[in-house]
Amino acid sequence: MATEKDKQKRRLAKFIEERDSYEAMAKAFGQSPSGTDKLYAPLTEAYVGQHNAVIKAVEEGLPFVASYYGCQPEIYVAMDLPWYTFLTPVFTNAMNPNMGDEIDATESLFGKDLCTAFRVAGYWVEKDLAPLPTVVIAMLHPCDASLMAHQLMQTNENWRHVPMFGCDPPYWDDERSLDYYANETKQMISFLEEHTGRKLDMDRLREVIEESNKMYELWMEYNELRRAVPCPHGYGVGLQAFGVALNILVGDPRGTQWFTDLVDDAEQLVREGKGKVENERVRIFWFDVVSLGLSLDLFPWLEQEYGAVNVMDMFGYCPYTLIDTSSEKTMLKGLGKRALCDAPMMRQARGVADNWIGDIRQVVKDYKINCVVWPGHMGHKDGSANVGMMRETCRELGVPFLHIGMDNFDERYTTTAEIKEMFSKFFASMGLA
Amino acid sequence: METKVKSKALQQFQEATETLVNPELKKWIEQGGKVMALFCSCGPEEIITAAGMVPFRARAAGSTGTELADAHFASIICSFTRHCFNMGLRGDYDFIDGAVWLNTCDHARRIYDNWKRKVDTPFVRIMSLPKKTGEPQVEWYRDEMVILKEALEEHFGVEITDERLWQAIKTHNETRRLLRQLYELRKQDNPPITGAEVLAVVVASTAMPRERFNQMLKELLQDLKEAEGIKDYRARLMITGGILDDPGYIKVIEEQGGLVVTDMLCFGTRIFWNDVDEKAGDPLQALAQYYIADRYSCPRMFQDYPRRAGLVRDMIRDFKVDGIIGERLLFCDLWTVEHYQLAKEFKPEGTPYMQLDREYVLGGIGQLRTRVQAFLETIGR
Ligand code: SF4
Ligand code: SF4
Repeated sequence: MATEKDKQKRRLAKFIEERDSYEAMAKAFGQSPSGTDKLYAPLTEAYVGQHNAVIKAVEEGLPFVASYYGCQPEIYVAMDLPWYTFLTPVFTNAMNPNMGDEIDATESLFGKDLCTAFRVAGYWVEKDLAPLPTVVIAMLHPCDASLMAHQLMQTNENWRHVPMFGCDPPYWDDERSLDYYANETKQMISFLEEHTGRKLDMDRLREVIEESNKMYELWMEYNELRRAVPCPHGYGVGLQAFGVALNILVGDPRGTQWFTDLVDDAEQLVREGKGKVENERVRIFWFDVVSLGLSLDLFPWLEQEYGAVNVMDMFGYCPYTLIDTSSEKTMLKGLGKRALCDAPMMRQARGVADNWIGDIRQVVKDYKINCVVWPGHMGHKDGSANVGMMRETCRELGVPFLHIGMDNFDERYTTTAEIKEMFSKFFASMGLA
Repeated sequence: METKVKSKALQQFQEATETLVNPELKKWIEQGGKVMALFCSCGPEEIITAAGMVPFRARAAGSTGTELADAHFASIICSFTRHCFNMGLRGDYDFIDGAVWLNTCDHARRIYDNWKRKVDTPFVRIMSLPKKTGEPQVEWYRDEMVILKEALEEHFGVEITDERLWQAIKTHNETRRLLRQLYELRKQDNPPITGAEVLAVVVASTAMPRERFNQMLKELLQDLKEAEGIKDYRARLMITGGILDDPGYIKVIEEQGGLVVTDMLCFGTRIFWNDVDEKAGDPLQALAQYYIADRYSCPRMFQDYPRRAGLVRDMIRDFKVDGIIGERLLFCDLWTVEHYQLAKEFKPEGTPYMQLDREYVLGGIGQLRTRVQAFLETIGR
């Protein structure tokens, strides 16, 4: 019979594998510190650091959290609680050649049409393949899949004993909603204090938020630079910025440094009039996650073949409001606003479709977009119910719109070859080829 | 499988499920009455009744296609959503004076956004429904109700007094009590009514003037006193799931010998298994408490699974259930996981659980028959 120690070891196996692959990447990037690539090294190192903190916590029996980026991670950081997003492995695994088998295995539990990210994460929970945390902070928005994946934990024989809390997300963005959410956040803090034995020091929280404010300020500055024609950087940077600010270096001066370097790099390119591609012809707004699997093939192809640059994407577009740190009240309210109204995907998918459509209007205008793409990840049901509204909005704006219909985590759903074909036809018919 | 009960009321209920505008509703409209559609069973129908209107639970009865809606939704949107919106676009919903949505699920909540842009309904609102069942959520939902109440008062020029709210609560509680009486009869070894017939009754309860419905249901209960019980069934089944409003679907199951004796559905026990507290101090507080905390939830309510499973367990015992069919509309994320969890819980306890995916409009009957037959064999009947 497996001892608890054996079980913990098994639960860590995937996590360690992932840490090792980040470590290898960090080394490789460290050796070629040129151009924009040099930004990858600190990023991958930070991923290694985040993984190590969790591994250490498991090995030494210290408290740690499983959560998601939209759950006010500034609070875990201020409480010195290591944490991991229980969906991260699905994103990074998109490059794993065995991912297909793993996805197929989930079908026996959840069928085929539930968001693959949560299907795989749920499968890992059910098969006891993920580190069992001290507490779970659940994310009840923006989608049904997220809500259900957390409920699933509560019926799993191992996870059901892990205390769990989720802040209830209101559907609106007004003052009343933010006050309500601040109250939920208060409860979340009490919950964390009770179950981890750590106390939240408000001064420390202030420090973390102030540092994150610096990051968001730089992020905004960076996004301004992306308005330049030609756009200085391409498809992957938005996702990296998101990873730094909301995941691995939340409120950490290393994150601020990363953004400073990013801004410097972009600024120099803009000054020199250099773009990601030499002859930029199409400026795409990719209104969803930039899938890591696709990054390797589709986006470089779009750049080379059509001079089509991903100028903005959902995860790179974070019009962050800075948080007022003058009191506990303003901080909790500000954190709630950040989680509900600023964090990518939460911002667009949680509430009414006007938020969604508003972003298209704004981004098209601000970034001189001449092509809007709705990739239509199979998990994004709420967004896929906006297709008609998106098409009409784009028509009004005079910008061509492409709806793909794909799976961000499973290339077999719509293959890259099929997507390329769609783009070729689309560009030809829109006169963008 | 059919009962031999002769009941005019039952016949009227069955007719009411076939179309959107049933004869009773039509009469109401012809007399100048107003109708408000509700797109989720967590919508506070009592407030609509108190405003002097008929709360109408939105469905897509009689819909045959989704060709107009398909331009607005990708194919991964559930067919309930597509059919409802299609009917809106076709003008089939022109009989309503307003519609209220809630942020129910990722599919249904978007009907609101599309509807408000494309369908000319004079009053459209969406309410923010919490995902938890605690005290702050009850308070939040009470406030949402106040906002709705004020909007109704302003738009329709009515006054929704506490007195009218209490009266509406009483009327709706009476429906709930009568429906529970109907379900009591199904506990018998030889229930006098089939599952398909009962579904028609419950659907009708959400589609006609409420006082008239209560009166008709009393007549049916009277008629059932004399009715002969059903003996020729192979197994007693329970149905779990979301928006099933088509008695034809249950009829196919029952034709194979599986008598449906109870359920946990949106058109089923979840909407009437308990009452709104008539003794509370404030009617809106009582309603909020009911809709958020007291009534049996659907899977969108976080951390409330144990209560839902508890209801299923009680049903298995009280209705002597031999097996459970979990129905789900394709692409519904809420019910995929919920059925998986329920099956995981109840199969080891000895109650077979089969998940059936379906489309909103009944089709693939041959396959449904085969699955049900195989399931009845698993049960050993
Ligand atoms: S990828 Fe989309 S559907 Fe999947 S979890 Fe995220 S928001 Fe939900
Ligand atoms: S069936 Fe599921 S997806 Fe469709 S409206 Fe109901 S809860 Fe939503």
